[in-house]
Amino acid sequence: MDNINVLIIEDTPAESEVLVKVLTANNYNIVGVAPTYTEALKLFYQTTIDIVVIDVFLDGKPDGITFAETINIVPNGQKPFVFLTSSKDRQIFERAKLTKPFSFLLKPFNELEILYALEMAVEKFYGQTNAFHSEDQNTVVSTDSLFIKKNKSLKKVKIEDILYIEVEDRYCNIITETEKFVILISLTKIMQLLDATKFFQTHRNYIVNASKITEIMVSDNLVILKGNHKVTLSDKYKDFVKNFHILK
Amino acid sequence: MIKIKFLIFVFLINSQLFLFSQGKNGGNLLNDEIKNKAKEFNKEVNFNKAQLFFFENNWDSTLVYSMKQLSSSENKELKDYCHYFRAISFYKKKLFKEAQKEFKQISSGFSFYYKVKLYLGEIALKQDKPKNALQYFQEVEKLPHEGTYDFNRSSVLHNIGLCYLHLEKFDKAEEYLFKGAKLQELAKDSLMLTGSYMDIASLYYNQYKDDLAIPYFKKAYDLSKKIKSFELRRTATLNMAVVEENRKNFPLSLTYRKEYETWKDSLNDQNKVWAIADLEKKFAIKQKQKEVNVLAAENKVKVAERNGFLISSVLLLALFGAGVYFYRQKIRNNKIILAQKNELDVLNATKDKLFSIVSHDLRSSVNALKTSNGKLIENLETKNYSELDVLLHNNSTIANGAYNLLDNLLNWALLQTQQGYFFQESLHLAAIVQHVEYNYKSLMLNKNIHFESNVSASDYVFADLDSLKIIIRNLLDNAIKFSQENGKISIYTRPSSEDFCYLVIEDSGSGMNAATREELLRETVLLSKKKNDDAIGTGLGLQLCKSMLHKNEGRLQIESEENVGTKMIIALPKFKTNG
Repeated sequence: MDNINVLIIEDTPAESEVLVKVLTANNYNIVGVAPTYTEALKLFYQTTIDIVVIDVFLDGKPDGITFAETINIVPNGQKPFVFLTSSKDRQIFERAKLTKPFSFLLKPFNELEILYALEMAVEKFYGQTNAFHSEDQNTVVSTDSLFIKKNKSLKKVKIEDILYIEVEDRYCNIITETEKFVILISLTKIMQLLDATKFFQTHRNYIVNASKITEIMVSDNLVILKGNHKVTLSDKYKDFVKNFHILK
Repeated sequence: MIKIKFLIFVFLINSQLFLFSQGKNGGNLLNDEIKNKAKEFNKEVNFNKAQLFFFENNWDSTLVYSMKQLSSSENKELKDYCHYFRAISFYKKKLFKEAQKEFKQISSGFSFYYKVKLYLGEIALKQDKPKNALQYFQEVEKLPHEGTYDFNRSSVLHNIGLCYLHLEKFDKAEEYLFKGAKLQELAKDSLMLTGSYMDIASLYYNQYKDDLAIPYFKKAYDLSKKIKSFELRRTATLNMAVVEENRKNFPLSLTYRKEYETWKDSLNDQNKVWAIADLEKKFAIKQKQKEVNVLAAENKVKVAERNGFLISSVLLLALFGAGVYFYRQKIRNNKIILAQKNELDVLNATKDKLFSIVSHDLRSSVNALKTSNGKLIENLETKNYSELDVLLHNNSTIANGAYNLLDNLLNWALLQTQQGYFFQESLHLAAIVQHVEYNYKSLMLNKNIHFESNVSASDYVFADLDSLKIIIRNLLDNAIKFSQENGKISIYTRPSSEDFCYLVIEDSGSGMNAATREELLRETVLLSKKKNDDAIGTGLGLQLCKSMLHKNEGRLQIESEENVGTKMIIALPKFKTNG
């Protein structure tokens, strides 16, 4: 389970310091603080980033919005972002609103508010609104990661690291090669969101990452995964074997 | 030759006279019979119509309807009548050949067949076929004297005489003419008698028995003076003139000639009289026409006058109406303007008041901060650290209050000028409440207020994030402000209805009475009187809450009891996933 990488674009050191302090305290990984547009772009391309926090006004100019507009038109460059602003001026908002998905946070804000704003940005970006705050879910599934709300902050797990998922009631146990943890999401939901060519159900309670399979023992009703994890294969789901090219 | 020509002329006149009388006298029995038949066959519409027109001498219509009757009916009797109608009609229209044809189609069983014969005879005579005519007349003449026949026997006899005359069988002609004349003398029919005498005279004259002829001419002439027919008189006179001329008695002839001329003239005169009468009539008509024209003109003028009056009255009325309308409009506008002015005055007054209060509050806050800072420096110099802590806390409270006030003011201004960004979206109510209360935790801890938050995690409202925060912040602020030390504040949701979520902010503070509550909820009221002396308040916060709630299509309710506590309930529209 990894921390979320955050890029902060903020020209006022006092405010960026507070931000860094709050986010670090909540297990976010700050990859950099950029006070200008160009620096922000540089950092954006150099580092791996999950979320960008953007101050609308950089040095009195709405460069923050320009930055959002720029990353919006870069292919595959889009990332969830949050605007910070102390002005409620409508004209600025109308312009900012065009950079979808749009979420903003009005200064001054407290710890809860910035964390909430980050969560909202992720939810909106991946089109799974209200995922973190509903009573039966705490995870947003993107194409390459799971964003999991843990306590007050977000964590992420690379989907390619997952060995298998064990469903237990309303919860899912995510088992990677190194970790095992519980997320709150229903089986049907996660099946919908996961790539169907990579993940297969082998049992009513098991979803398996196909790339991690080392052996399928049909006679013993077992699928053996990397790291010698054994997963039950029930008759009902045996058909999934057909998806593999079988050497004869 | 001249003589003979005259005579023929006389004959023709006479025979025409006779034929006329025949038509006139001979109809009664037949007419009655026709009427009876019409009654008998009253279902035969065409026959009825034909006979009606027949009696009205409307010959064309008679022809049409009798034809219709003929084509539709097979009744022999009616057919005979119809043929009779047609024959008479043709006869009257002088279409003798057609008439003859029709007469011949009448069956011999027709009860008035003798009449048919009579007419046939007359037609033959007119067509100069005296032999045929004679045959017909003789057949009629042979009819027994008894029995009722409505025809003039004398005229028949006379006609036979005429036939013989034409055939130049003078002796027979003489016999019949005399027979006829005798009968006419008996009947004292001077008109016919004149004709008869003239015919007899012509008869003799033709045989050059002048001596015999002249007395008859004379008789006819004398008799003619008693009758009214100018035509007959003229003929008689002309005959006399011709006779005298032939006798070489020219002066007498001249007198007769002259008399003849006068008769002719008198005929002309009559025509002239008619013409004059006609002229007079025309003149009278013209006069009348003129009068009518004048009257029409007068009428026109009157109508024009009336129309003018009408139009002018309508115009006046319209003008009056428009005047009234505009006057009323003006009054209404004035009223509206006055109302607006009053409203504006009130608003201005409240704004002024707001401004003064705000400035006063701000001024006092900042002033308090200033003095507190002075004390702070003093205490720092004397190193009185315990006092420093108190002062700093005090400062932060004052700064907080001033900040809130400023924030509210800014938001108020934005709301009033519609400059603020406003975007309603799905919001997780519990999270928002958490965010707001986070800022107040320390404050409540300071005041030792017991705080409870129990917001349903499943409630999503449809609202603008920032305005929702402002609302909750202000209500929470108020709750803390009006709470005593060791009080209790709780935020919780009530079960939501179909359209609304209900968030309750409850405190155990001083509460308020019903009047204050009403006043707070009223639309226009801006600033409430401060009851709680300790608490700084302008009423702006609550007003802002109400406005923002209104903009979010929500509502504010207040449940309160003095010295027990207040429940501020905000109703917000629920977020619906389907839009």
